This record gives sequence, structure tokens and C-alpha cells, in this order.
Amino acid sequence: MGVVILLVMAAGVAAMLTRKLPTGFALVLLAVAIAFVAGAPLTGENSVLDTVLQEGAPALAATMVAILLGSWLGRLLDETGIAGTLVRKIVEFGGDRPVVVALGVLAVSTLVGTVTGSAPAAMLAGIIGIPAMIAVGIPKVTAAGTILMGIAAGMPFELPIWQFFSTALELPIPTVRGFMLKLFPFALSAAVLFVLVETRRRGVEHAWSLKSASAKPVSRREQLGDAPWYALLTPVVPLVLALGFEVAILPSMLAGVVYALLTTTRPREMNKRLLRTLYGAFEVAAAPMVLFIAIGILLAAVRLPGAVESLEPLVKAVSPQNPVLFVLVFTLLVPLCLYRGPLNVFGLGAGIAGVLIAAGIYPAVAVLGLATSYNQVFGVSDPTSTQTVWSAQYAGVTPQQVMLRTLPYVWAVALGGFCVTAATYL
Amino acid sequence: MTAALLDRAARTAIAELEAEDDVEFGVRLLRNTPTHERRDPALLRRWAATADAFGAGLPPVAATARIVESDGGLAKGLLARYTSRPVPTVELFTDTLALADALIDLLGWRHWYPAGSVRAAAVAHEAVHGQLHHGPRKKELKRALGHVVLRAGRHTLYGHVAGADEIAAHAHARTVCGLGRSPLLLTAALATAAEPQHGSSHGPPHGREK
Repeated sequence: MGVVILLVMAAGVAAMLTRKLPTGFALVLLAVAIAFVAGAPLTGENSVLDTVLQEGAPALAATMVAILLGSWLGRLLDETGIAGTLVRKIVEFGGDRPVVVALGVLAVSTLVGTVTGSAPAAMLAGIIGIPAMIAVGIPKVTAAGTILMGIAAGMPFELPIWQFFSTALELPIPTVRGFMLKLFPFALSAAVLFVLVETRRRGVEHAWSLKSASAKPVSRREQLGDAPWYALLTPVVPLVLALGFEVAILPSMLAGVVYALLTTTRPREMNKRLLRTLYGAFEVAAAPMVLFIAIGILLAAVRLPGAVESLEPLVKAVSPQNPVLFVLVFTLLVPLCLYRGPLNVFGLGAGIAGVLIAAGIYPAVAVLGLATSYNQVFGVSDPTSTQTVWSAQYAGVTPQQVMLRTLPYVWAVALGGFCVTAATYL
Repeated sequence: MTAALLDRAARTAIAELEAEDDVEFGVRLLRNTPTHERRDPALLRRWAATADAFGAGLPPVAATARIVESDGGLAKGLLARYTSRPVPTVELFTDTLALADALIDLLGWRHWYPAGSVRAAAVAHEAVHGQLHHGPRKKELKRALGHVVLRAGRHTLYGHVAGADEIAAHAHARTVCGLGRSPLLLTAALATAAEPQHGSSHGPPHGREK
């Protein structure tokens, strides 16, 4: 039976890779198929309808709310000009030294990455950051990569991600936070190294562009003034509360929303702005929320007793227990989290993580180490993830170019994560 | 490249461009450069004029960079490109240069842009970027623009004006190649003529969720 489940999973991966089905839909179909193959009844205890679909769909509800709040805060950073002001100041202060501008934009991307993820994060930092870097001579692939590496450096502190791993892997928030603190130095070092090495290797680039002298209508975003300096602290507020004062994730993020509002908006405009940005956030958060519904359903399916019994011997046979082998094998498997591959944490990888924990192959915290390390690769280099596609297209290059340039750096981050996991939790 | 290059709307648009003064194209360049979108048009105009004068006053420099020619400039929306690594190289896009020459003939602008001058301007333009990137010139340009971002007692910190070096490079090319009008006028006309040929790279993302 375990082999059949693996074949079903392979079919699901094929459907996602070939883009026959959107990931969210593929995961739900996969979950239902796994449940049936595992012998789950249609209704009742451990069933397809009541357990997998009914209980699975809202299982990651806290993550969905965190994603929504992150998107709300992201919208506010955009609408109030906070993100734009940060980038503008960096260009003004360091513009004649491309490496300084790139490091500054990297810092802004890291801050943004702690608040929200995916394409909205890339857009917040990149809409001004990418052309600003290109204008000072940073090559396009490096500019796109800088945004992505920055967001990934902030990812260990992205509160919705903490919530996701806490709920999906059934780990307390302090445990997730503890590992993220260990992963952060690797992510940050790789990001800084990327900027330093790539700006040195590729030098500067200037183009006589046909677009440079064209007339362009001025959009509302472009008419925004600078946000006051104290408003620029907004991305740090949720982080300080959650990390420094151990305040729960959702209130920490709400505090960020309130701070952004109070520091940038006149009282009579507050209601209007709050509602407008909140409704806008729903639009931004819709895609990841659909994905988290599907992941919850998949996790419920792979945790069914029948699925665990069937998969346990198979997964146990191929999962390395020796720490050195653990690091080696999972490092070699890094490319499997690209192109919606089976180790993509926001796809089948979540299901595999569920199996590893449910079957007792690894302690949950070791699976956290695996998943978050793969997430660092996926978040930067996967040419099918929206942040990578958006950044590459906006810079005028292909996502594959960005993948090739960034992969060595994030592969090293994953290696670091696996080493910490093996040394600490195996 | 024939008269079919331009329809009536494009010709009207280019006639309007022709009526603009050269500094206006610098203002457009600045306005299209991130960080300046919300700035006062008068300030942009002052910066554009200053950068133009600065570039025009730069002494001619010999192009030491390797020069290569390639196709595909129209698809990329580029006429030339300077890269500093692995060796300083100026890449000239022959299809865009050919379109530029055809357009100049079509519009009767040959007295402004003599034969071979666009290629020479492209080389001069890219070569001067080296000067503006290293050495004292970049500091001089910053001082000339006078964009103060921090003042503490006697100390003044001048901010970078993104795009000003580009205006200076165009002005330099105009001066050393003896062009009658700014290369930016030709750039704007080319953009109008080549509009359908170079796609926008700023479209929305087409990736999947997350």
C-alpha cells in the first residue's frame, strides 16, 4: 500500500511540475487519493470527508490569519511610502557606490522579509529597489537576486512562517523561534556574501536604454512623499515584540499595523486607509491562503493511521539516521525542492514532513530543521515561485538566470541548516 | 527600414519631441529613474541642466574598453551597453543602430546626427561612464548637483542623484561627437518607432502561488 501512496505522490508531483494542475488543487486531490488508498472510510473517525477535508482545511487557520496580517502590514508599508522611503534614502546616501546601495536594498528586503513573504515582499522592496540598483550600475540578475536573498535573510524572522511551522509540525513557537535564530546567521551571511561577491565578479553595467527618455504617466504610488523617519521603524515593531518580549505572533503583527498607521496617517483618514489596505491584503493573501488550506488537508491525509502504517517502513528504509549521512543525503536532495519538486515545503514537502513526524522517523524539531532549510532554497531560487518570477521579470531577466546565480549561496545555507539540525537534534 | 517605420501617430509624437528642448529629455530621464518620481519639476530641470553642462564640459576620453557588436538590441530596448567585468566592454547593438540611422534619414535629422555619429556617440557615451564611476569626477558631479542630504556644522554630505550620470554621459557624447541635438532626443524617437518591437519586462508575475 505504501508503494501505491508513493506512486500517487509521484503523480501529484508530475501534475504540479507539468503545470497540469495548480499546486493548491493538486495537493487536495493528492490528499483525497492518499486517504482512499490508505483505506480511510468516507465518513466518521479518520475518514476522507470528516477528518481529511473538514478538519484538515482549517488546520492552518492561525497561519492564514498571520499571512493576512503580514499582507496587511505589507500593503501599509507600500501605501504609506515607508518601503519606498527606505530605498530612496539608501540610494541618496550610497548611490555612487553600487555595493553600498545593494547592501542597503538587501537590508530593506530583509526587513520586509520579516513582515511578509512571496511576491508582495519582493514587490515592496523591488519596485523601487530593483530599478534603483540598475540605475547605479548593478547588473540586472544581481539586482533581482539581491531582493530575493534579502527576503530570504528575513525569512527566519517572518512571523507567519513561525506560525506555519508551529502548526504544521505541532511544535511550540519557542522551539521554532530557537531554530530560526540558529538558521538566521547562515541566511544573512549568504545574502551579504552574494552581494559582495556578485557585485565584485560582475562589476557594473550601464545601458543606453530606449526607455530612458520616454514620457511616462506619474502613478499615485510615485506621488507619495517620504514617510517620517520614525515610521521607518515599522517593520521592526512586530519583530521586537515577538522576539524581544515574546508577545504572541498575531498581536505582534497587529501592533505593527497600528504603529504604521499612527505614524503615517491623519486621524480622519485612518478608518479609510485601514479598510482599504485590509481589503487589498485579502487579495494579496488569497493565493497563499488557498495553499495553506490545501497543505492542511494534505497533512491530515498523511497523518491518517492507515497512511502512517503503510509509509513508515518505506520511509524508514530510505531515511538516513547517521548525522553525517543525514547532512550529505539531504544536501544532495536540495534540487528536489525546486520547480515545485517533492521537497517543496509549500507543496508535497509538507506532506513528507508530516509522514516523517507521524511515522517517528525523526523528531519533529529535526523535521523543522529540514523544512526550514529547504524553504531558504525555495524562497530564493525556485523559478516557479512568484517572488522569483516577479523579481526576475521586473529586472528584465529570466527566473532561470536568477536561479543559477543564487543557487550556490542558498544551497550553502541549506547545508548550514542541515549541519545544525544533525548536530543538535539527531 | 522604410517609411512604413512610422505611422501618423508616431510621426506626430516625434514632431512633438522635436519641439522640446534638450534639457527636457534629461528631466524625463530623471523622472523615469526611481527616487525622483515625486520631486519638484523645477528641481529636476535644474539637475538635468547641471548634469548636461557637467557632461558637456568633460574632456574627451579615449575608449579603452573592448568594443563588440551584437544583434537583439531592439528586443532588449537597448542601443548600447557598458559592462566593467570581466573586462570593460562596450556592446553596440547593430539592429538598434541601423534603426537609428534609418530613422534619422526618414526624419531629415542628418544635419543633427551625421553619418556614423550614432555609433561614435554610443562608444563615447559608454566610455565616459568609466570616468563617472571611478575617480574624482563622480564627486565633482555630486557637488555640482548640490543635493544636500545631511549638514552637520561645517560638514555637508551631498546625496547621489540617480540618473544624473546618464544625462552627463549623453551630453558628453553630444559634445565630443559634434551632434546638433542631444542623443536623448534620438532615444525618445527610437522608443516611439520601436515601441512594438521591444516588449515590456515589467509585466505582472506569472508564477504560481507562494
